[in-house]
Amino acid sequence: MFRMTRAFAGTVAMALCAFAQTGNKNGEWPSYAADLAGTRYRPLDQINATNFSKLEVAWRFKTDSIGNRPEYKLEGTPLMVHGVVYATAGSRRAAIALDAATGELLWVHGEHEGERGAAAPRQLSGRGLAYWTDGKQERILYVTPGYRLICLDAKTGQPVPSFGTNGAVDLKLDDDQRILPDVTTGEIGLQSAPVVAKDTIIIGAAFREGMTPKSMRNNKGYVRGFDVKTGKCLWIFHTIPTKNEPGYNTWLKESAEYTGNTGVWTQITVDEQLGLVYLPVESPTGDYYGGHRQGNNLYGESLVCVDLKTGQMKWYYQLVHHPLWDMDISSAPILADINVNGRAVKAVAQPSKQGFLYVFDRVTGKPVWPIEERAVEQGSVPGEWYSPTQPFPTKPPAYSRNGVMTDDLIDFTPAMRDTALAIVAKYHIGPVFTPPVESKIDGPLATLTLGTASGGTNWPGASYDPETHIVYAYACNACLTPIGLVRPPKSLSDMDFVAGTAGQEVRNRTGPGEGAGADSPLPSRAPAVGRGGAAPTAGSGLTVQGLPLIKPPYGTISAISLDKGEIVWQIPHGDTPDAIRNNSALKGINLPRTGQTGYNVGTLITRSLVIAGEGQRTTTPEHPPGALLRAYDKATGKDAGAVFMPAPVSGSPMTYMVNGKQYIIVAVSGGNYSGEYIAFTLPAAEEHGQTAQ
Amino acid sequence: MRSGIAAALLIGLLGAQEATRSVWDGVYTEDQADRGRGLYNQHCASCHADTLTGGEMSPPLAGGEFLSNWNGLTLGELFERIRTTMPQNKAGKLSREVNADITAYILSVNKFPSGKTDLPHSTEFLKEIRIESEKK
Repeated sequence: MFRMTRAFAGTVAMALCAFAQTGNKNGEWPSYAADLAGTRYRPLDQINATNFSKLEVAWRFKTDSIGNRPEYKLEGTPLMVHGVVYATAGSRRAAIALDAATGELLWVHGEHEGERGAAAPRQLSGRGLAYWTDGKQERILYVTPGYRLICLDAKTGQPVPSFGTNGAVDLKLDDDQRILPDVTTGEIGLQSAPVVAKDTIIIGAAFREGMTPKSMRNNKGYVRGFDVKTGKCLWIFHTIPTKNEPGYNTWLKESAEYTGNTGVWTQITVDEQLGLVYLPVESPTGDYYGGHRQGNNLYGESLVCVDLKTGQMKWYYQLVHHPLWDMDISSAPILADINVNGRAVKAVAQPSKQGFLYVFDRVTGKPVWPIEERAVEQGSVPGEWYSPTQPFPTKPPAYSRNGVMTDDLIDFTPAMRDTALAIVAKYHIGPVFTPPVESKIDGPLATLTLGTASGGTNWPGASYDPETHIVYAYACNACLTPIGLVRPPKSLSDMDFVAGTAGQEVRNRTGPGEGAGADSPLPSRAPAVGRGGAAPTAGSGLTVQGLPLIKPPYGTISAISLDKGEIVWQIPHGDTPDAIRNNSALKGINLPRTGQTGYNVGTLITRSLVIAGEGQRTTTPEHPPGALLRAYDKATGKDAGAVFMPAPVSGSPMTYMVNGKQYIIVAVSGGNYSGEYIAFTLPAAEEHGQTAQ
Repeated sequence: MRSGIAAALLIGLLGAQEATRSVWDGVYTEDQADRGRGLYNQHCASCHADTLTGGEMSPPLAGGEFLSNWNGLTLGELFERIRTTMPQNKAGKLSREVNADITAYILSVNKFPSGKTDLPHSTEFLKEIRIESEKK
C-alpha cells in the first residue's frame, strides 16, 4: 500500500524561495472555494472589463505525466498561499506544488495504492486539497482514491511522520462501521477537497454512481472530524442514524440497518466564528428507486448543521423527502450575512441541482423565506414509497428549469414543436418532483426530467459577493435525464428496480473515472471481435432534426439577491454550439446566443466581474476549435471580455495576486485534450501595478 | 540537398494542411458499422448508453453536444481518444481494427453516410478526415 511515496526533495530550496513571495490575505486562495464560507470571491481588480480580453497565458501545467496515463477529466481548483500554487493532478491524483508566478514544479507527491486504488469508486485527480498552518508549520491535506487522508509538509511535499501512521490515516477504519466486503475493495472514497477549520479536518464520503446499485445494501457515508496535528479521529456524524438516534424511525422496516451511501461527496462549509459545520448530504442507496428504504430517509438530501468540535447535530432541513431523483445536495453551502426587511440575518444559502436556492438562518436552521410543503404526484412503481409532499421555497424563484412541461419544448418552428410533442408522448413529463416510472415498451419509456442527476447546479456550486449580498450561480437549463426503472436480473442487482429502458439490456451503469485511475491495470492489447447485439435505437431519440428537445437557453448564469430573494439578472452562458448554429434547419432564423448544456461550469467573482469558462468546444470564424473563458459585468450580466482556451473548462476558476500581478487559473480538459492547468495574466503593458484590496 | 530539404518541408506543410475529406464523404461501410454496433454494446454502452446519448455523467457520442464538441477536429483525434483511453476500465485493450469499427458505428448513428470502403485504422489516415457537424 505504502510502497511508493515520492517527493522531490531536491526542489525544496526552490519551494522555500517561493514562500518569500507573500501576498496579503485577499490576494491568496487558501481553500477550495476561496474561503470556508464557500464564496469563490476575491476582491481583486487588476483584471477587469477594460483588459480581460487581453489576458495571456502566463504558464500552463500539463498533467499527463502525473500518473501512468493522461487524464481527460481534470476537475481541480488549486490553492495559492505564500506564492505557491497547490493542486491535485493526474490519473495518480498526486499533490503538486507550483511556483505561482512561473508554474515551475516545486514538488510532487503521489501514492501508489495497488488493488485498493484500482477498486476505488472515485478515481482520477479529484477536486483539490486543503492547506493548514499554525503560523509555524504548514500542511497540505488530501484524500487518495483509495480513501486515505494524506498529510504533507507544505514546504517539502514530504509526509508528516507525526500525523496518523507515517503521514496517513486509513479512512476505511475507525468509522463506526465495518467497510464491506474488506478494506481493500470495500466501496467508499472521496473526490472532493478536505476542509480544515480551527485544527479540525472534516472528511465526507463518496460512492459509485447510484443509478444501478448492485445491492440495496452498501457502506454508509459518515462524516468525520480529525485532529490536524495528529490525525486522531475526533467525532463521527451518522448521516444515517443508528438505532437509538433521532431520525432512525424515518427508515421503515429497519432499512437504516442496511441502506448505505448518504455521504457528503461535495464541499463542506464552516463558520469558524460560530463553530458550526454545514453538511450537504447526498442520496441514499438507489438514486431512483427507494422501495427498499421506505420512509423519509433522514438525513438523505438534507442540509445538516453540526458542531465543529463535537460533530453533534445542531439542526437539519431535508430538502427532498424520500429521495428518488438523484438530486443529492451537490455543492458547497454558502455563508452570507444579509439584510432582509431591515433585519440582519446570518444566513446559509444552498444552491441545488433542482434550481432552488434554499436560504436558512444558519444559527437556527429556520428558512429566511417560508418553505411550503406542497402535495406532489404519487407514482405507481411496484414496491415504491412516496412522500405525499415536498418542500418548495417561496423565495427566491427557481433559477433553472426543474421539470419538463410542454412550454419547455423546442419551438423554433411549429413543425419542430409538433415533432417534440410527438416525442414526449412516449414519456411521462411534469413539474419538479414528478416521480420516475416503470419503463414500458408501449410507454411511458421514462419520466423526462430536468434539474435531477446533472442539475441545475452540480458540484462546481455557486459564488457569493459579500459586498452586494448577491449569489451568482451557473445552471444547466436543458440537461435532460430520462428516468425509467426496470427489473434487473439477479446477477446484476438484488434491487427490485434499477435505472433502465424497456427493450434494452439492463446494464450496470458506471461513471467517469471508475477503473480509469493510475492504479487500475493497463492490460496488454488484445484484439476483440464481435458482431450483433441490440439493434441501434435512435441515438438522437430526444432531439428534433439534430436540435435539443428543450428550447434555449441551455445553460445560464443567474445573479440572485439574498437581501430580496429575487433574481437580479439571468443570462445564457456559453456560445451557441456548432451543431445548433450551423444546423441547416435553422437557416433564416435569427438565433441569439443559446448558452450550452453542461454540469461542470463554476463561477469566480472578483471586484467587478463574474468569470466562468465554457463547458463545450466551439469553432467559429473568430477562433479555432476551443472554448472561451468569459467575463461578465457582475452588476448587469453584460459581456466584459473573453479569452480563448484550447479546451472546455472542467474545473472551476480561481484567482490570486503574486508579485503585484493578478492571475486566473482554470483547469481544462475533455474531448481530445488531456488535463491542463492554465494560468492567465495580463501582458506587462496592461499591468496597473494594483495590489490586492 | 537544399532542394531535398525544401521538398520535405513542402510535404510537411501539405501534411499539416486541413484534412482533405470530411465525414460526409462516405468514409465507412455499413458492414463495418454493423460490426461496430456489437462491439459498442459490449464495450461502451454501460457508460455511454445503448443510444449513444451518454449517461448521467458520461458524455454523449451522438447528437448535437457530441457534434459540437468534435466539430472542426478530425477522426484521427477522435480515434486516438477512444483508442488510448477507452474503455476506461481497460484502456488500450481494444485493437485498432475494433476501434475503427466502433468509430464507424458512431458515425452511422450520427447519420453520416456510409460508403464503399472501411474506415481505416491508421491514425495518420484518419487525421485526413474532418468532422463537420453540417454538410458544407
